[in-house]
Amino acid sequence: MKARFNLNFDFYILLSVVILIVTGVFFVFSSCVASDGSVVSNEYVKQIIWAVLGVGVLIASIVINYKKIQDYSIYLYLVFLLLLFITLIAGNKVNGARSWLGIMDIGIQPSEFAKIATILMLSSFFAQHPKDIRSLRTFISGFLIILLPMLLILAQPDMGTALVYIPIFLISAFVSGSSLRHILYLFLTGSIMIVLTVVPVWQDFASDNTRKIISVIVNEKIYAYILIAFITVTTISLMGYYIARKGYYYWIMYGSSIISISLVGSFLAGKVLKTYQIMRLIVFLDPYVDPKGAGWNIIQSITAVGSGGVWGKGFLNGTQSHYRYLPQQTTDFIFSIMAEELGFAGSILIFSLFLVILVRGIIIIGSANDRFGSSIAAGVVAMFFFHFIVNIGMAMGIMPITGIPLLFLSYGGSSLWTAMIGTGLLVNVYYRRYRY
Amino acid sequence: MSGDYSSGRGGRDTLKVRLFVLFVIIFSVFIVYSFHLYSLQIVQGGEYRQRARDVARREQVIPTQRGEIFDRNYDAPLVMNVDSFAVDIIPAALPGSIESIVKDLASVLGIEEEEVKGKIPARYSNYYKQIEIKDNVEYEKILYLAEHKEKFPGVVWKSKPIRKYTETGSMSHVLGYVGDITREELQVLYNKGYSPNSELGKSGLEKEYDIYLRGEEGVRYNTVDVRGRMIGDSSSIEKPPVLGKNLVLTIDRHIQTLCENALGKRIGSAVVMKPSTGEILALVSYPWYNPNIFYTDNSSSYFNELSLDSSYPFLNRTIQSAYAPASVFKIIMSAAIIEEEVFPEWEKIDCKGNMWLGDRIFNCHKKTGHGKLNLKEALAESCDIYFWTVGREHLGIDKIVEYSRRFGFGQQTGIDLPGEVRGLIPTPAWKESTYHTPWVGGDTFNISIGQGSLQVTPIQIANAVSMIVNRGVNYVPHLLKQVRNPVSGEVIEEYKPRVLTNSLIRKETFDKVQDNMREVITKGTANVIMTTDAVEIAGKTGTGEVGYKDRWTSWFAAYGPYNSDNPEDQVVVVVMVEAVNEWEWWAGKATNVIFQGIFADETYEEAVEDLNLWYLRNNRHPVSGRVE
Repeated sequence: MKARFNLNFDFYILLSVVILIVTGVFFVFSSCVASDGSVVSNEYVKQIIWAVLGVGVLIASIVINYKKIQDYSIYLYLVFLLLLFITLIAGNKVNGARSWLGIMDIGIQPSEFAKIATILMLSSFFAQHPKDIRSLRTFISGFLIILLPMLLILAQPDMGTALVYIPIFLISAFVSGSSLRHILYLFLTGSIMIVLTVVPVWQDFASDNTRKIISVIVNEKIYAYILIAFITVTTISLMGYYIARKGYYYWIMYGSSIISISLVGSFLAGKVLKTYQIMRLIVFLDPYVDPKGAGWNIIQSITAVGSGGVWGKGFLNGTQSHYRYLPQQTTDFIFSIMAEELGFAGSILIFSLFLVILVRGIIIIGSANDRFGSSIAAGVVAMFFFHFIVNIGMAMGIMPITGIPLLFLSYGGSSLWTAMIGTGLLVNVYYRRYRY
Repeated sequence: MSGDYSSGRGGRDTLKVRLFVLFVIIFSVFIVYSFHLYSLQIVQGGEYRQRARDVARREQVIPTQRGEIFDRNYDAPLVMNVDSFAVDIIPAALPGSIESIVKDLASVLGIEEEEVKGKIPARYSNYYKQIEIKDNVEYEKILYLAEHKEKFPGVVWKSKPIRKYTETGSMSHVLGYVGDITREELQVLYNKGYSPNSELGKSGLEKEYDIYLRGEEGVRYNTVDVRGRMIGDSSSIEKPPVLGKNLVLTIDRHIQTLCENALGKRIGSAVVMKPSTGEILALVSYPWYNPNIFYTDNSSSYFNELSLDSSYPFLNRTIQSAYAPASVFKIIMSAAIIEEEVFPEWEKIDCKGNMWLGDRIFNCHKKTGHGKLNLKEALAESCDIYFWTVGREHLGIDKIVEYSRRFGFGQQTGIDLPGEVRGLIPTPAWKESTYHTPWVGGDTFNISIGQGSLQVTPIQIANAVSMIVNRGVNYVPHLLKQVRNPVSGEVIEEYKPRVLTNSLIRKETFDKVQDNMREVITKGTANVIMTTDAVEIAGKTGTGEVGYKDRWTSWFAAYGPYNSDNPEDQVVVVVMVEAVNEWEWWAGKATNVIFQGIFADETYEEAVEDLNLWYLRNNRHPVSGRVE
């Protein structure tokens, strides 16, 4: 019994997660220490409480057979949609976003847990459609599942957290066997839309070399002509496809509609984006446009990371952090203080732990007993991966500031528990990979 | 992708491919991120460490003290530093709304609100450097600020010593004054360690020896957190301040006072110099100004007032103003005549009171004529006819020009004060190029008696007389005697006399000139004036026309003791009084008092008393402001 227990359990993931959480507590503590050595905040105590209580949550999410949740996924999902809706109406504002639900000091961020509920719902949906998984209909239905919570979170507004749903959907669909052309379609549309949104902003504020291709996008008149042209091409090729059923009509439509949607989407995004969001994009491209204002966070974070050197300044010895130059140290920029105090050596160690979790996650996807399990694992891997890329990329200045936490390490009960439930689900799926 | 992925276990191979793709994506992100981290932390690590240090480091200037200046007695400073305060603000520490604090601060300091506001930068909430709002703030106001500290967050004060000139009379021209560096000055001096906040000497010795006096500000670094608060005991002195060095001058302030009073309220100047070394014992120019007012609030109006004053109080007339030397020049003429042997010294010329040159008549200053005179008598009587005749007919303009140069005219003496002028020796070539008219005999006449376009400064005359006293050698006139350590008083540098000229003129010539100059005092024009018996004097009067009908520039150049065994004892005195003064011929009378004072070791009052100059008893300077 004991031998099988060992075999079945994914200790690599659990060990990595435990190390990360403990390290996280240490650095949340480090952030609470002021320059004179006094402890100015009790966030680390809260984090310890969350972590200890989280162990129960983790165990629970391992022990409960995931297969039994499948039928309930829809209810869980609906409950969280409701919670998100309530949050939107009655939630507490934190950093400008109405993302908290709770009374007094105790509260949760439904948007964090909703990721798990959505992963379960999406996986359940994919598992119920093994036959038509490649159909466009299934793909769009799956997309609608993530679109609902995503829009609710976007309305808070919390763009960073909302964006996590995209990779969750893409990787889940990818692993569940959706048609690649659909996945690519969504991926390309999203990417081009982002590029088309950023470029005019960059053109306006940061660039001094105007290229013709850019002015094509920036000039609204030319923009409209191009859009009309692409929509026309799309319509014609769509008609051509239905009449002639020729493959090339399909691909013409495929390409031109991607561009049409991206153009419309980026145009709308340009109108909808708030000033501070545009400023974040600008300072991402060049933080020195506003070094004391919007660019401050990026500059201080990069400085903290860079000044860490090979071996770091040592625990509690970071200057950027303890002299408070680094903002939001416990949440958004927890990696910056770690990189400053642990240096390249420590940072690579952190990277490795995440890599272990993700690689083990991929193995778990592959070894899952059923479609539901592999899709869950894929969603969790996607979530972990996206948080890692965006948060650490932000700390190093190669991703715009979106304000999403680094899972396992950042301060915050909701995100910690979400990460632990995700881990539990991975272990859960792995544990039940054989049929008995 | 062909992918039959559709049903059950059949899609495993495709799933493996897809998972491998996923792995590659994730792994490449880790590689890219690790590489970027490597480039940040290791490749550019040093640069970021520097940046992290800079962002938390505040430079603080530790003020230094400018050196003090003493006279040769080294007993009481002529210039010292007195404690004063400057009020600064740290913009980032100001409260959110600055309106009320600006109003209150302006009213406490007694300045306009706009003046305070103008100094606060627009994005003040992120500006941590101290900005000076006002300097020279009274102690009471600082006390008030300290007592109401909670009402003035972000307002700080610091010690900022200011210059205090204890001798406010004629020393102002010698000492000069100090001011804030200008942009133009900084461009020139940037490489010499001056900064935009530097103060520097603007004139006089303050300017000349700024390098000794100024000292170097120290620098202290404090580590501060993001709100500008200092962290623990993180303050480290990067560079300790270096105090400015003290100067000891050759000036004797008692002689300076004596000269000041002897000159009285007459526009002019006086120089007392030791011929054996070039040391200047007194350098007086009237009118002067009070440099202390430059350190008060209404300094700019005072400065403007002085600049517009028609008597030019900023002008140091001993070195910055050149005049026709008049008859004093006859000393140089005598030396030339003797040395060149163009006309025997004993041979007499008959002065009939006037002489004709072409169709112009030239009058001797004694209209009735001096009768027959040899060189010695001509100098004693200052006979113009004699020097006109010998100058034009025997010596010639070229020799006169040559000897003027040999005695240092037309050249700077090199005195250690800024702004010395050269004066002018007119030559035929000069006249040709300046006025486009040829040199005529009348021009040689003019220069022969020190008139016309010849222009010399009092210091040049003093230097020329020194050469005669030293029989061919003179020294660069100087005011600096020693540079001393400000704390220990130890002498760091001693000024060594530097030979300015070593003339080829024979010593016997100088002996004869000295003899002739003595004759001026004993038998000649100065006989009635030079009543002092404290010392035997040799010298020469000079009275020049400057275009005023009834006014004359008055010179007296003399030295004493005449014929001394100890050259150390000898002093040269040159007094020059400008023609604008109503009481002419004053120079000789002042010289008389000066010699009496120096050699009888008396104050001005005592000298006047001893010489029985009843008319001078109330001549003393009311504005000199000294306490004796």
